[in-house]
Amino acid sequence: MITLGDYLFVSGLLFTIGFAGVLLRRNIIIIFMSLELMLNAANLSLVAFSRFRVDSLGMPDYHAQVFVFFIITVAAAEVAVGLAVIVALYRARRTIHVEDINTLKF
Amino acid sequence: MIPTPALEIIVLVWGLILLLAEAFTPKIDKRVFAFAGIFGLAAVLLGSFFLAPGAPIASTGFWSFYTADPLAIFFKRFALVTTIFVLIMAIDYAPTIRMGVPGAEPHAGLGEFFALPIFTCAGLMWMASAIDFVMIFVSLELVTMSFYVLVTFTRRNPATLEAGVKYLILSALSTGFLVYGITWIFGVTGETNLARIGLALTTNDFDQVPLLFGLLLVLVALGFKIAAVPFQIWVPDVYQGAPTPVTAFLSVGSKAAGFVVLLRVLTPFLILPQVGKVLVAMAALTLLYGNFAALPQTNLKRLLAYSSIAHAGYLLVGVASFSGTAVAFYLVGYLLMTLLCFAVLIVVAAHGGEQIENYAGLAKRSPFLAGAMLVGMLSLAGVPFTAGFLGKFYVFDAAVQQRQTVLLVIGVITVGCGFYYYLKVVRAMFWLEPPNDSPTIRVSVLSRGAMILLIAGIFVFGVYPQPILRALEARPATSTAATR
Repeated sequence: MITLGDYLFVSGLLFTIGFAGVLLRRNIIIIFMSLELMLNAANLSLVAFSRFRVDSLGMPDYHAQVFVFFIITVAAAEVAVGLAVIVALYRARRTIHVEDINTLKF
Repeated sequence: MIPTPALEIIVLVWGLILLLAEAFTPKIDKRVFAFAGIFGLAAVLLGSFFLAPGAPIASTGFWSFYTADPLAIFFKRFALVTTIFVLIMAIDYAPTIRMGVPGAEPHAGLGEFFALPIFTCAGLMWMASAIDFVMIFVSLELVTMSFYVLVTFTRRNPATLEAGVKYLILSALSTGFLVYGITWIFGVTGETNLARIGLALTTNDFDQVPLLFGLLLVLVALGFKIAAVPFQIWVPDVYQGAPTPVTAFLSVGSKAAGFVVLLRVLTPFLILPQVGKVLVAMAALTLLYGNFAALPQTNLKRLLAYSSIAHAGYLLVGVASFSGTAVAFYLVGYLLMTLLCFAVLIVVAAHGGEQIENYAGLAKRSPFLAGAMLVGMLSLAGVPFTAGFLGKFYVFDAAVQQRQTVLLVIGVITVGCGFYYYLKVVRAMFWLEPPNDSPTIRVSVLSRGAMILLIAGIFVFGVYPQPILRALEARPATSTAATR
C-alpha cells in the first residue's frame, strides 16, 4: 500500500534534485531543466494531497488539482520566454556556461 | 459606476489592442503607442475614482479570490501611476532601445517596449486584489514573465542579456519555492484561500512543522520579489544591466506588489510566534546590507539598486511592526523619489554616462536636472519636509509602538549611512567642476512636466499626508454596502 508519505518523499526528492541542479550545474539549459523539476515536485505533492484528502462522498479535493493545471500552464509559458532569452544569449556570446557570464560585477 | 474587476480587464484589452495595432502598422512613428498607452492608463486611473462598491468576501466564486478593499484599490492606482511614469521615461529612452534591438526599420522594437509595461500593470493590479494563493501565483507570474522580456529587451547589449538571464534563473527559482511552499500550506490546512486558511488555523489543531516549512518557502519567494536579504543577490546586477525605465519599474512596481502580497499572506499566520522573529531578522539584515554595500558604489544605477534594498529594509520594519498604513505611505514616498531619480538618470545618461563622476558640475550644465536630483536624493536620505522623511517617521513610529528596539537602533544608524552615499551624488553635482567640453543638457517638455509633478508630490505629501492615509481607511459607503 502506497501512503501519502511515500508520495511526499518522492516529491521532496525531486525538489532537492532540482534545487541541487540549480546550485551545482554550470550549463544554463540544465539549470532551467532543474527549475522545471522543482515545479513538477510541487505538482506531484499537490496531486497526492488532493488524492488523500477525500470528502464524505469519497471524492478528492479538486482545489489542488485545479492549481496543478495553473502551474503546468505557467511553467509552459515560462519555458517559452526563458528559452528565447537563453537563445538570445547564445547568439550574442556563443556560450551558455555560467562562468562565462561575468560582465556585471560588484 | 464601474465594477472593480473591469479596471484590469480594460487595461489588459487596451494592451492587446496596442500590441496588435503595432504589428499591423510598421511605417508610423511608434511613440504614438506610448502616448496611447499613457492615455489609456490615465483614463483607467480616472475611472478608479468612480468604482461601484465591491462585494464582501464570499466563500466560493469570484469574490473568494478577488477583493476590492481600500488597500487593493489604493495599490491598483499605485500600479497605474507607476506605469504611466515608466512609459513617459520610455519615450525619452527610445533612442537607446532602438540601438539595442536588431532590425532594419527606424522604429523596430519600440512598439513592443511601450505595450509590454501595460501587461505588467494588469498583473500588478491583479496582485493587489489577490486573496487566494492560486490567484497570487498566477498574477505574480504574469508580472514576472513580462519582466523577463522587458529586462532582456535591448539584446544587443551584453550587460542587458546577462542581467536578463540572471533575472530569469533567480525568478524561476523563487517561483519554484513559492509553489512548493503553497503546496505544504495546502497540505496542512486543505485550503488555498487566505481567509479560510486563517479560519482553519484558529479552529483546528494542526502540525506546526510542515506549516512553518511551507510558510518559510513562501517567504523566501516573496523575499526575492521585494529584494530582502538574503535573497537580494540578483538586485544589483539586474538593476544595472536592465534598460533604465525597466529598472525603475522593477524597483517600484514589482517591490510594491510584493509588499501587498506579503501583507496579505502574513495576516492569517500572525498567530504563529516564529513569523515575527523571522521578519525582524530579515528587516535587520536588509537594512544593514543595503546601506553598507551602497557606500563604496561609483555607478549611480547600482547605487540606486543598493538603495532599493535598503528601502526594502525600512519597509520590512513596517511589516514587522504590523502597520499596513506605514508600509503603504512609505511606498508612495518611495515611488515619487525613486521615479524622480531614474527620470533624471535617463536624461543625464543620454549625454554622458551612469557613473557618479558623470554628474560632476551638473548644477552648471542643467540647474533644473540638478535641482530635481537634489530633491530626489534628499528625500531618499530622509530630510524633513519630504515624503521620504514622513515615510520613515511613520515606519519608526509603528516600530516604537511595537517595542522593536533592535530594529529602531539599526534603523537610526543606517539612516546616517544613507546620508553619506546620497549626498555623495549631491556633492558631485554642486561642488565638483564639470569637464570643459561638456554640453548643456536639454530636457524634453514631457519629462520636465513629469519631474515637476514628482517634485511637487514629494513636497506635498511631505507636509500633508492626509489624502493617502484617508484613502487607506475603510470607506463608510463601502462597508454599509457590504453589510446590506
